[in-house]
Amino acid sequence: MDGYNFAYLDEQTKRMIRRAILKAVAIPGHQIPFAGREMPLPYGWGTGGIQVTAAIIGPDDVLKVIDQGADDTTNAVSIRRFFARTAGVRTTTKTAEASVIQTRHRIPETPLRADQIIVYQVPMPEPLYKLEPSRAAAKRRHALADYGEMHVKLYEDITRFGRVAVAYDHPVMVNERYLMSPSPIPAFDNPKMHMMPALQLFGAGREKRIYAVPPFTEVKSLDFEDHPFHPGRAEQKCALCGGTKSYLDEIVIDDQGGRMFACSDTDYCESRRA
Amino acid sequence: MSLLLEARALQKNYGRITALADVSLNLRPREILAIVGESGSGKTTLLNVLAGRIAPDAGEVFYNGAPLSALGELKLRKLQRSRWGFIQQDPRAALRLDVSAGGNIGERLMAAGARHYGEIRATARQWLNAVEIDPERLDDMPKFFSGGMLQRLQIAATLVTEPEIVFMDEPTGGLDVSVQAKILDLIRGLVRRLGLAVVLVTHDIGVARLLADRLIVMRHGRIVETGLTDQVLDDPHHEYTQLLVSSVLPA
Repeated sequence: MDGYNFAYLDEQTKRMIRRAILKAVAIPGHQIPFAGREMPLPYGWGTGGIQVTAAIIGPDDVLKVIDQGADDTTNAVSIRRFFARTAGVRTTTKTAEASVIQTRHRIPETPLRADQIIVYQVPMPEPLYKLEPSRAAAKRRHALADYGEMHVKLYEDITRFGRVAVAYDHPVMVNERYLMSPSPIPAFDNPKMHMMPALQLFGAGREKRIYAVPPFTEVKSLDFEDHPFHPGRAEQKCALCGGTKSYLDEIVIDDQGGRMFACSDTDYCESRRA
Repeated sequence: MSLLLEARALQKNYGRITALADVSLNLRPREILAIVGESGSGKTTLLNVLAGRIAPDAGEVFYNGAPLSALGELKLRKLQRSRWGFIQQDPRAALRLDVSAGGNIGERLMAAGARHYGEIRATARQWLNAVEIDPERLDDMPKFFSGGMLQRLQIAATLVTEPEIVFMDEPTGGLDVSVQAKILDLIRGLVRRLGLAVVLVTHDIGVARLLADRLIVMRHGRIVETGLTDQVLDDPHHEYTQLLVSSVLPA
Protein backbone atom coordinates (compact mmCIF):
# COMPACT_ATOMS: atom_id res chain seq x y z
CA MET A 1 0.00 0.00 0.00
CA ASP A 2 1.37 3.41 -0.96
CA GLY A 3 2.34 5.80 1.78
CA TYR A 4 2.66 3.14 4.44
CA ASN A 5 5.66 1.20 5.64
CA PHE A 6 5.52 -2.59 5.51
CA ALA A 7 3.07 -3.75 8.23
CA TYR A 8 1.99 -0.18 9.05
CA LEU A 9 4.53 0.67 11.80
CA ASP A 10 7.73 2.53 10.91
CA GLU A 11 10.98 0.59 11.22
CA GLN A 12 12.18 2.57 14.26
CA THR A 13 9.04 1.64 16.18
CA LYS A 14 9.38 -2.00 15.17
CA ARG A 15 12.95 -2.06 16.47
CA MET A 16 11.78 -0.59 19.77
CA ILE A 17 9.09 -3.26 20.07
CA ARG A 18 11.52 -6.03 19.08
CA ARG A 19 13.89 -4.92 21.81
CA ALA A 20 11.04 -5.19 24.31
CA ILE A 21 10.18 -8.64 22.94
CA LEU A 22 13.79 -9.82 23.27
CA LYS A 23 13.88 -8.69 26.88
CA ALA A 24 10.55 -10.36 27.53
CA VAL A 25 11.75 -13.65 26.08
CA ALA A 26 14.92 -13.43 28.18
CA ILE A 27 12.89 -13.05 31.39
CA PRO A 28 9.88 -15.37 30.99
CA GLY A 29 6.67 -13.91 32.41
CA HIS A 30 8.20 -10.53 33.30
CA GLN A 31 6.38 -7.47 31.99
CA ILE A 32 8.46 -5.13 29.85
CA PRO A 33 7.19 -1.57 29.29
CA PHE A 34 7.24 -0.33 25.70
CA ALA A 35 6.35 2.90 23.98
CA GLY A 36 3.00 1.78 22.59
CA ARG A 37 1.82 3.70 19.55
CA GLU A 38 -1.62 4.90 18.61
CA MET A 39 -3.06 2.31 16.26
CA PRO A 40 -5.97 2.72 13.86
CA LEU A 41 -8.29 0.76 16.13
CA PRO A 42 -9.58 1.45 19.66
CA TYR A 43 -7.92 0.28 22.87
CA GLY A 44 -9.38 -3.04 23.90
CA TRP A 45 -9.60 -4.24 20.31
CA GLY A 46 -6.10 -5.62 20.17
CA THR A 47 -3.79 -2.62 19.89
CA GLY A 48 -1.10 -4.45 21.87
CA GLY A 49 -1.33 -7.65 19.90
CA ILE A 50 -1.38 -5.84 16.57
CA GLN A 51 1.83 -3.94 17.41
CA VAL A 52 3.62 -7.14 18.43
CA THR A 53 2.45 -8.84 15.24
CA ALA A 54 3.54 -5.83 13.14
CA ALA A 55 6.98 -5.96 14.72
CA ILE A 56 7.60 -9.66 14.04
CA ILE A 57 5.76 -10.35 10.78
CA GLY A 58 7.74 -10.78 7.56
CA PRO A 59 6.68 -11.02 3.88
CA ASP A 60 6.84 -14.84 3.97
CA ASP A 61 4.69 -15.25 7.05
CA VAL A 62 1.18 -16.66 6.96
CA LEU A 63 -1.15 -14.95 9.41
CA LYS A 64 -4.15 -16.30 11.25
CA VAL A 65 -6.23 -14.10 13.55
CA ILE A 66 -8.86 -15.41 15.94
CA ASP A 67 -11.25 -13.72 18.32
CA GLN A 68 -12.84 -16.01 20.96
CA GLY A 69 -11.62 -18.91 18.84
CA ALA A 70 -13.43 -17.77 15.69
CA ASP A 71 -11.83 -16.63 12.44
CA ASP A 72 -14.97 -14.91 11.18
CA THR A 73 -15.73 -12.38 13.93
CA THR A 74 -15.36 -8.63 13.36
CA ASN A 75 -12.15 -8.20 15.30
CA ALA A 76 -10.47 -11.16 13.63
CA VAL A 77 -11.60 -10.21 10.14
CA SER A 78 -10.53 -6.58 10.44
CA ILE A 79 -7.07 -7.33 11.88
CA ARG A 80 -6.45 -10.02 9.27
CA ARG A 81 -7.49 -7.61 6.51
CA PHE A 82 -5.33 -4.88 8.08
CA PHE A 83 -2.19 -6.99 7.67
CA ALA A 84 -3.25 -8.29 4.27
CA ARG A 85 -3.39 -4.66 3.09
CA THR A 86 -0.47 -3.10 4.97
CA ALA A 87 1.97 -6.03 4.72
CA GLY A 88 0.58 -7.98 1.80
CA VAL A 89 1.07 -11.23 3.71
CA ARG A 90 -0.85 -14.39 3.03
CA THR A 91 -3.62 -15.04 5.57
CA THR A 92 -5.29 -18.26 6.54
CA THR A 93 -7.92 -19.60 8.89
CA LYS A 94 -6.14 -22.96 9.27
CA THR A 95 -4.10 -23.24 12.45
CA ALA A 96 -1.64 -25.72 10.93
CA GLU A 97 -0.85 -23.44 7.96
CA ALA A 98 -0.19 -20.28 9.96
CA SER A 99 3.26 -19.14 11.06
CA VAL A 100 1.93 -16.26 13.17
CA ILE A 101 -1.35 -16.50 15.06
CA GLN A 102 -2.79 -13.45 16.75
CA THR A 103 -5.46 -14.33 19.28
CA ARG A 104 -7.97 -12.83 21.62
CA HIS A 105 -9.26 -15.04 24.47
CA ARG A 106 -8.34 -18.49 23.10
CA ILE A 107 -5.52 -20.86 22.22
CA PRO A 108 -6.32 -23.01 19.17
CA GLU A 109 -7.25 -26.63 19.85
CA THR A 110 -4.72 -27.89 17.31
CA PRO A 111 -1.38 -28.15 19.15
CA LEU A 112 1.07 -25.46 18.04
CA ARG A 113 4.51 -26.27 16.64
CA ALA A 114 7.98 -24.92 17.22
CA ASP A 115 7.91 -22.98 13.93
CA GLN A 116 4.85 -20.99 14.97
CA ILE A 117 4.41 -17.87 17.11
CA ILE A 118 1.23 -17.05 18.99
CA VAL A 119 0.50 -13.41 19.87
CA TYR A 120 -2.04 -12.74 22.62
CA GLN A 121 -4.06 -9.56 22.95
CA VAL A 122 -3.97 -8.55 26.62
CA PRO A 123 -6.33 -6.07 28.28
CA MET A 124 -4.73 -6.14 31.77
CA PRO A 125 -1.19 -7.52 31.99
CA GLU A 126 -0.84 -7.11 35.78
CA PRO A 127 -2.06 -10.26 37.57
CA LEU A 128 -1.83 -8.50 40.96
CA TYR A 129 -4.00 -5.51 40.12
CA LYS A 130 -7.03 -6.64 42.12
CA LEU A 131 -4.89 -7.36 45.14
CA GLU A 132 -2.49 -4.46 44.89
CA PRO A 133 -3.92 -1.24 43.45
CA SER A 134 -0.52 0.50 43.35
CA ARG A 135 1.54 -0.35 40.29
CA ALA A 136 4.76 0.53 42.11
CA ALA A 137 3.90 -1.85 44.97
CA ALA A 138 2.94 -4.56 42.46
CA LYS A 139 6.34 -4.22 40.79
CA ARG A 140 8.02 -4.63 44.17
CA ARG A 141 6.05 -7.81 44.77
CA HIS A 142 7.20 -9.15 41.41
CA ALA A 143 10.79 -8.23 42.20
CA LEU A 144 10.59 -10.07 45.53
CA ALA A 145 8.45 -12.94 44.13
CA ASP A 146 6.06 -12.08 46.94
CA TYR A 147 2.91 -13.79 45.66
CA GLY A 148 1.55 -15.70 48.66
CA GLU A 149 -1.50 -13.50 49.03
CA MET A 150 -2.70 -14.38 45.52
CA HIS A 151 -4.10 -17.47 47.16
CA VAL A 152 -6.42 -15.32 49.30
CA LYS A 153 -8.55 -14.81 46.21
CA LEU A 154 -8.60 -18.52 45.42
CA TYR A 155 -9.41 -19.25 49.07
CA GLU A 156 -12.40 -16.92 48.87
CA ASP A 157 -13.65 -18.61 45.71
CA ILE A 158 -13.55 -22.06 47.24
CA THR A 159 -15.24 -20.75 50.38
CA ARG A 160 -18.05 -19.08 48.45
CA PHE A 161 -18.53 -21.36 45.48
CA GLY A 162 -16.96 -24.63 46.55
CA ARG A 163 -14.37 -24.42 43.79
CA VAL A 164 -12.04 -21.91 42.18
CA ALA A 165 -14.48 -19.79 40.20
CA VAL A 166 -11.91 -18.11 37.98
CA ALA A 167 -13.22 -19.26 34.61
CA TYR A 168 -10.78 -17.17 32.61
CA ASP A 169 -7.52 -15.25 33.16
CA HIS A 170 -6.52 -17.77 35.83
CA PRO A 171 -3.07 -16.58 37.04
CA VAL A 172 -0.04 -18.75 36.29
CA MET A 173 3.51 -19.06 37.58
CA VAL A 174 6.02 -18.98 34.73
CA ASN A 175 9.30 -20.84 35.06
CA GLU A 176 8.82 -20.95 38.86
CA ARG A 177 9.54 -17.24 39.07
CA TYR A 178 7.06 -14.69 37.72
CA LEU A 179 3.35 -14.59 38.29
CA MET A 180 1.68 -13.88 34.96
CA SER A 181 -1.75 -13.15 33.58
CA PRO A 182 -2.41 -15.61 30.73
CA SER A 183 -4.74 -12.94 29.23
CA PRO A 184 -8.48 -13.68 29.35
CA ILE A 185 -8.22 -17.18 27.91
CA PRO A 186 -10.48 -19.77 29.55
CA ALA A 187 -8.89 -21.80 32.33
CA PHE A 188 -9.41 -24.71 29.92
CA ASP A 189 -6.56 -23.33 27.79
CA ASN A 190 -4.07 -22.82 30.62
CA PRO A 191 -2.54 -26.32 30.39
CA LYS A 192 -1.78 -25.70 26.70
CA MET A 193 0.68 -22.97 27.67
CA HIS A 194 2.77 -25.41 29.68
CA MET A 195 5.80 -26.60 27.67
CA MET A 196 4.30 -25.25 24.45
CA PRO A 197 6.74 -25.68 21.52
CA ALA A 198 5.65 -22.34 20.00
CA LEU A 199 6.86 -18.94 21.19
CA GLN A 200 4.13 -17.10 23.11
CA LEU A 201 4.11 -13.29 23.01
CA PHE A 202 1.70 -11.03 24.91
CA GLY A 203 0.94 -7.42 23.99
CA ALA A 204 -1.06 -4.98 26.12
CA GLY A 205 -1.66 -1.78 24.15
CA ARG A 206 -3.43 0.44 26.66
CA GLU A 207 -1.13 -0.62 29.51
CA LYS A 208 1.92 -0.55 27.22
CA ARG A 209 3.44 -3.83 28.37
CA ILE A 210 4.92 -6.79 26.52
CA TYR A 211 5.70 -10.17 28.06
CA ALA A 212 6.52 -13.60 26.77
CA VAL A 213 6.76 -17.31 27.43
CA PRO A 214 9.63 -18.90 25.47
CA PRO A 215 9.13 -22.34 23.93
CA PHE A 216 9.16 -25.30 26.31
CA THR A 217 8.76 -23.23 29.47
CA GLU A 218 7.00 -24.40 32.59
CA VAL A 219 3.65 -22.68 33.16
CA LYS A 220 1.75 -23.68 36.28
CA SER A 221 -1.75 -22.52 37.23
CA LEU A 222 -2.16 -21.43 40.86
CA ASP A 223 -4.11 -23.86 43.04
CA PHE A 224 -4.36 -25.55 46.45
CA GLU A 225 -3.03 -29.02 47.25
CA ASP A 226 -6.49 -30.24 48.20
CA HIS A 227 -8.23 -28.24 45.45
CA PRO A 228 -6.05 -28.84 42.38
CA PHE A 229 -6.42 -26.66 39.29
CA HIS A 230 -9.33 -27.80 37.18
CA PRO A 231 -9.58 -26.68 33.56
CA GLY A 232 -13.31 -26.12 33.19
CA ARG A 233 -15.31 -27.20 30.17
CA ALA A 234 -19.06 -27.53 29.50
CA GLU A 235 -20.04 -31.19 29.91
CA GLN A 236 -21.53 -31.33 26.42
CA LYS A 237 -20.49 -32.31 22.93
CA CYS A 238 -20.28 -29.98 19.97
CA ALA A 239 -23.59 -29.89 18.08
CA LEU A 240 -21.74 -29.44 14.79
CA CYS A 241 -18.77 -31.82 14.90
CA GLY A 242 -19.67 -33.96 17.90
CA GLY A 243 -16.37 -33.15 19.58
CA THR A 244 -16.09 -33.92 23.29
CA LYS A 245 -12.58 -32.62 23.95
CA SER A 246 -12.75 -29.04 22.64
CA TYR A 247 -13.81 -25.88 24.44
CA LEU A 248 -17.48 -25.12 23.74
CA ASP A 249 -19.48 -21.93 23.35
CA GLU A 250 -23.07 -21.93 24.47
CA ILE A 251 -25.11 -20.21 21.77
CA VAL A 252 -28.70 -19.03 22.11
CA ILE A 253 -30.41 -19.93 18.84
CA ASP A 254 -33.97 -18.65 19.17
CA ASP A 255 -36.19 -16.73 21.56
CA GLN A 256 -37.82 -19.94 22.88
CA GLY A 257 -34.95 -20.72 25.20
CA GLY A 258 -33.29 -22.95 22.62
CA ARG A 259 -29.53 -23.22 22.80
CA MET A 260 -26.72 -25.25 21.40
CA PHE A 261 -23.11 -25.98 22.27
CA ALA A 262 -20.52 -25.64 19.56
CA CYS A 263 -16.72 -25.57 19.37
CA SER A 264 -15.38 -22.08 20.00
CA ASP A 265 -12.44 -22.90 17.71
CA THR A 266 -14.12 -22.68 14.29
CA ASP A 267 -11.14 -24.03 12.35
CA TYR A 268 -10.92 -27.11 14.60
CA CYS A 269 -14.66 -27.71 14.23
CA GLU A 270 -14.57 -27.36 10.42
CA SER A 271 -11.58 -29.64 10.06
CA ARG A 272 -13.43 -32.35 12.00
CA ARG A 273 -16.50 -32.03 9.82
CA ALA A 274 -14.59 -32.01 6.51
CA MET B 1 19.01 -13.43 79.09
CA SER B 2 19.80 -12.62 75.48
CA LEU B 3 18.23 -9.64 73.77
CA LEU B 4 15.51 -10.17 71.20
CA LEU B 5 15.42 -6.64 69.92
CA GLU B 6 17.84 -3.85 70.56
CA ALA B 7 17.79 -0.25 69.40
CA ARG B 8 20.93 1.87 69.52
CA ALA B 9 20.95 5.66 69.26
CA LEU B 10 17.98 5.99 66.93
CA GLN B 11 17.54 9.33 65.23
CA LYS B 12 14.67 10.40 63.01
CA ASN B 13 13.70 13.84 61.79
CA TYR B 14 10.74 14.97 59.75
CA GLY B 15 12.10 18.17 58.28
CA ARG B 16 12.86 20.46 61.22
CA ILE B 17 10.80 18.34 63.60
CA THR B 18 12.71 15.82 65.66
CA ALA B 19 10.68 12.63 66.06
CA LEU B 20 13.41 10.51 67.65
CA ALA B 21 16.57 11.77 69.35
CA ASP B 22 19.17 9.31 70.60
CA VAL B 23 16.69 6.58 71.51
CA SER B 24 18.12 3.27 72.74
CA LEU B 25 16.19 0.37 74.23
CA ASN B 26 16.20 -3.40 74.71
CA LEU B 27 13.52 -6.05 74.47
CA ARG B 28 14.01 -9.51 75.95
CA PRO B 29 12.11 -12.68 74.98
CA ARG B 30 8.59 -12.89 76.47
CA GLU B 31 8.77 -9.33 77.75
CA ILE B 32 6.04 -6.72 77.39
CA LEU B 33 7.42 -3.25 76.95
CA ALA B 34 5.10 -0.25 76.88
CA ILE B 35 5.98 3.08 75.32
CA VAL B 36 3.91 5.90 76.78
CA GLY B 37 3.85 9.59 76.08
CA GLU B 38 1.57 12.29 74.77
CA SER B 39 0.59 12.73 71.14
CA GLY B 40 3.56 13.84 69.06
CA SER B 41 6.13 12.48 71.49
CA GLY B 42 7.50 10.14 68.82
CA LYS B 43 6.19 6.87 70.22
CA THR B 44 4.49 5.71 67.04
CA THR B 45 7.54 6.68 64.99
CA LEU B 46 9.66 4.64 67.39
CA LEU B 47 7.33 1.65 66.99
CA ASN B 48 7.50 1.89 63.20
CA VAL B 49 11.29 2.11 63.26
CA LEU B 50 11.55 -0.90 65.60
CA ALA B 51 9.22 -2.88 63.34
CA GLY B 52 11.31 -2.06 60.27
CA ARG B 53 8.53 -0.07 58.63
CA ILE B 54 10.50 3.19 58.67
CA ALA B 55 14.27 3.46 58.32
CA PRO B 56 15.92 5.66 60.97
CA ASP B 57 18.13 8.59 59.90
CA ALA B 58 20.84 7.31 62.21
CA GLY B 59 21.26 4.47 64.66
CA GLU B 60 20.37 0.83 64.20
CA VAL B 61 17.84 -1.77 65.26
CA PHE B 62 19.17 -5.27 65.97
CA TYR B 63 17.06 -8.43 65.90
CA ASN B 64 18.74 -11.39 67.58
CA GLY B 65 21.96 -9.42 67.34
CA ALA B 66 21.77 -8.79 63.57
CA PRO B 67 21.13 -5.29 62.21
CA LEU B 68 17.83 -4.84 60.35
CA SER B 69 19.43 -2.65 57.70
CA ALA B 70 21.65 -5.54 56.60
CA LEU B 71 18.72 -7.93 56.28
CA GLY B 72 17.51 -6.85 52.83
CA GLU B 73 13.95 -6.12 51.83
CA LEU B 74 12.92 -9.69 51.09
CA LYS B 75 14.07 -11.12 54.42
CA LEU B 76 12.63 -8.16 56.30
CA ARG B 77 9.25 -8.70 54.64
CA LYS B 78 9.32 -12.37 55.49
CA LEU B 79 10.16 -11.52 59.07
CA GLN B 80 7.33 -9.01 59.27
CA ARG B 81 4.88 -11.50 57.81
CA SER B 82 5.72 -14.46 60.00
CA ARG B 83 8.03 -14.02 63.00
CA TRP B 84 6.75 -10.51 63.73
CA GLY B 85 3.27 -9.10 63.96
CA PHE B 86 1.86 -5.60 63.88
CA ILE B 87 -1.49 -4.70 65.40
CA GLN B 88 -2.83 -1.34 64.37
CA GLN B 89 -5.24 0.91 66.17
CA ASP B 90 -7.71 0.78 63.29
CA PRO B 91 -8.36 -2.83 62.26
CA ARG B 92 -10.10 -1.59 59.10
CA ALA B 93 -6.73 -0.43 57.81
CA ALA B 94 -5.13 -3.82 58.43
CA LEU B 95 -7.88 -6.23 57.37
CA ARG B 96 -9.43 -6.90 54.00
CA LEU B 97 -13.05 -6.00 54.62
CA ASP B 98 -14.39 -7.73 51.51
CA VAL B 99 -12.56 -10.97 52.22
CA SER B 100 -14.10 -13.44 54.68
CA ALA B 101 -12.82 -13.72 58.25
CA GLY B 102 -11.20 -17.04 57.34
CA GLY B 103 -9.45 -15.49 54.35
CA ASN B 104 -8.11 -12.69 56.52
CA ILE B 105 -6.73 -15.10 59.09
CA GLY B 106 -5.35 -17.35 56.37
CA GLU B 107 -3.59 -14.51 54.54
CA ARG B 108 -0.39 -14.69 56.58
CA LEU B 109 -0.36 -18.48 56.35
CA MET B 110 -0.74 -18.34 52.57
CA ALA B 111 1.88 -15.60 52.32
CA ALA B 112 4.18 -17.96 54.23
CA GLY B 113 3.50 -20.71 51.71
CA ALA B 114 0.52 -22.69 53.10
CA ARG B 115 -1.20 -24.36 50.13
CA HIS B 116 -3.69 -26.70 51.75
CA TYR B 117 -7.18 -25.21 51.82
CA GLY B 118 -8.55 -27.56 54.46
CA GLU B 119 -5.69 -27.00 56.87
CA ILE B 120 -5.77 -23.22 56.46
CA ARG B 121 -9.48 -23.30 57.20
CA ALA B 122 -9.08 -25.47 60.27
CA THR B 123 -6.39 -23.18 61.65
CA ALA B 124 -8.54 -20.10 61.01
CA ARG B 125 -11.42 -21.73 62.86
CA GLN B 126 -9.19 -22.46 65.87
CA TRP B 127 -8.05 -18.86 65.95
CA LEU B 128 -11.56 -17.46 65.82
CA ASN B 129 -12.21 -19.60 68.85
CA ALA B 130 -9.07 -18.33 70.55
CA VAL B 131 -10.13 -14.70 70.15
CA GLU B 132 -13.68 -15.51 71.24
CA ILE B 133 -15.47 -15.00 67.95
CA ASP B 134 -18.11 -17.59 67.08
CA PRO B 135 -16.35 -19.99 64.65
CA GLU B 136 -19.60 -20.10 62.67
CA ARG B 137 -18.67 -16.62 61.41
CA LEU B 138 -15.64 -18.02 59.58
CA ASP B 139 -17.13 -17.21 56.17
CA ASP B 140 -18.65 -13.84 57.11
CA MET B 141 -17.28 -10.57 55.76
CA PRO B 142 -15.54 -8.37 58.35
CA LYS B 143 -17.51 -5.39 57.08
CA PHE B 144 -20.44 -6.79 59.07
CA PHE B 145 -18.35 -7.08 62.27
CA SER B 146 -18.47 -4.63 65.19
CA GLY B 147 -15.40 -2.57 66.14
CA GLY B 148 -14.46 -4.92 68.97
CA MET B 149 -14.85 -8.01 66.79
CA LEU B 150 -12.73 -6.40 64.08
CA GLN B 151 -9.96 -5.83 66.59
CA ARG B 152 -10.22 -9.47 67.73
CA LEU B 153 -10.04 -10.54 64.12
CA GLN B 154 -6.94 -8.45 63.55
CA ILE B 155 -5.35 -10.07 66.60
CA ALA B 156 -6.19 -13.55 65.26
CA ALA B 157 -4.94 -12.68 61.77
CA THR B 158 -1.66 -11.43 63.28
CA LEU B 159 -1.03 -14.19 65.81
CA VAL B 160 -1.89 -17.04 63.43
CA THR B 161 1.76 -17.45 62.44
CA GLU B 162 2.70 -17.56 66.15
CA PRO B 163 5.09 -14.64 65.99
CA GLU B 164 7.94 -13.98 68.37
CA ILE B 165 7.42 -10.21 68.64
CA VAL B 166 4.17 -8.31 68.27
CA PHE B 167 4.15 -4.54 67.84
CA MET B 168 0.93 -2.92 68.98
CA ASP B 169 -0.11 0.64 68.27
CA GLU B 170 -2.92 1.70 70.63
CA PRO B 171 -4.69 -1.66 70.23
CA THR B 172 -7.67 -0.55 72.30
CA GLY B 173 -7.91 3.03 71.09
CA GLY B 174 -11.30 4.00 69.73
CA LEU B 175 -13.19 1.23 71.53
CA ASP B 176 -15.68 1.80 74.31
CA VAL B 177 -14.58 0.97 77.84
CA SER B 178 -16.27 -2.40 78.32
CA VAL B 179 -15.03 -3.69 74.94
CA GLN B 180 -11.60 -2.27 75.75
CA ALA B 181 -11.47 -4.28 78.96
CA LYS B 182 -12.35 -7.52 77.14
CA ILE B 183 -9.74 -6.93 74.44
CA LEU B 184 -7.08 -6.17 77.05
CA ASP B 185 -8.00 -9.33 78.90
CA LEU B 186 -7.73 -11.29 75.66
CA ILE B 187 -4.37 -9.78 74.75
CA ARG B 188 -3.00 -10.43 78.22
CA GLY B 189 -4.12 -14.05 78.10
CA LEU B 190 -2.80 -14.78 74.61
CA VAL B 191 0.50 -13.03 75.14
CA ARG B 192 1.25 -15.01 78.27
CA ARG B 193 0.06 -18.30 76.85
CA LEU B 194 2.07 -17.95 73.61
CA GLY B 195 5.08 -16.41 75.35
CA LEU B 196 5.19 -13.41 73.03
CA ALA B 197 7.39 -10.39 73.36
CA VAL B 198 5.36 -7.23 72.88
CA VAL B 199 6.18 -3.61 72.19
CA LEU B 200 3.05 -1.68 73.04
CA VAL B 201 2.46 1.97 72.26
CA THR B 202 -0.25 3.65 74.28
CA HIS B 203 -1.18 6.99 75.76
CA ASP B 204 -3.36 5.22 78.30
CA ILE B 205 -1.50 4.73 81.57
CA GLY B 206 -4.11 2.19 82.67
CA VAL B 207 -3.43 -0.04 79.67
CA ALA B 208 0.30 0.15 80.32
CA ARG B 209 -0.15 -0.72 83.99
CA LEU B 210 -2.32 -3.70 83.14
CA LEU B 211 -0.14 -5.24 80.42
CA ALA B 212 3.44 -4.07 80.62
CA ASP B 213 6.44 -5.43 82.51
CA ARG B 214 8.55 -2.43 81.68
CA LEU B 215 7.78 1.12 80.68
CA ILE B 216 9.42 3.78 78.58
CA VAL B 217 8.23 7.36 78.87
CA MET B 218 8.84 9.55 75.85
CA ARG B 219 8.67 13.26 75.34
CA HIS B 220 9.74 15.34 72.33
CA GLY B 221 11.36 12.28 70.76
CA ARG B 222 13.50 11.45 73.80
CA ILE B 223 13.23 8.79 76.47
CA VAL B 224 12.79 10.70 79.72
CA GLU B 225 12.29 7.78 82.04
CA THR B 226 12.43 4.01 81.92
CA GLY B 227 11.97 1.20 84.44
CA LEU B 228 9.62 -1.46 85.74
CA THR B 229 5.99 -0.47 85.23
CA ASP B 230 5.01 -0.32 88.89
CA GLN B 231 8.19 1.48 89.79
CA VAL B 232 7.74 4.19 87.18
CA LEU B 233 4.03 4.68 87.75
CA ASP B 234 4.11 4.60 91.56
CA ASP B 235 7.30 6.55 92.02
CA PRO B 236 7.80 8.73 88.94
CA HIS B 237 11.07 10.62 88.97
CA HIS B 238 10.93 12.85 85.93
CA GLU B 239 8.60 15.81 86.20
CA TYR B 240 6.91 14.93 82.91
CA THR B 241 6.16 11.41 84.15
CA GLN B 242 4.78 12.90 87.33
CA LEU B 243 2.51 15.11 85.24
CA LEU B 244 1.45 12.17 83.09
CA VAL B 245 0.63 9.96 86.06
CA SER B 246 -1.24 12.71 87.91
CA SER B 247 -3.27 13.49 84.78
CA VAL B 248 -5.06 10.13 84.86
CA LEU B 249 -8.70 10.65 85.72
CA PRO B 250 -9.82 8.74 88.81
CA ALA B 251 -12.36 6.06 87.91
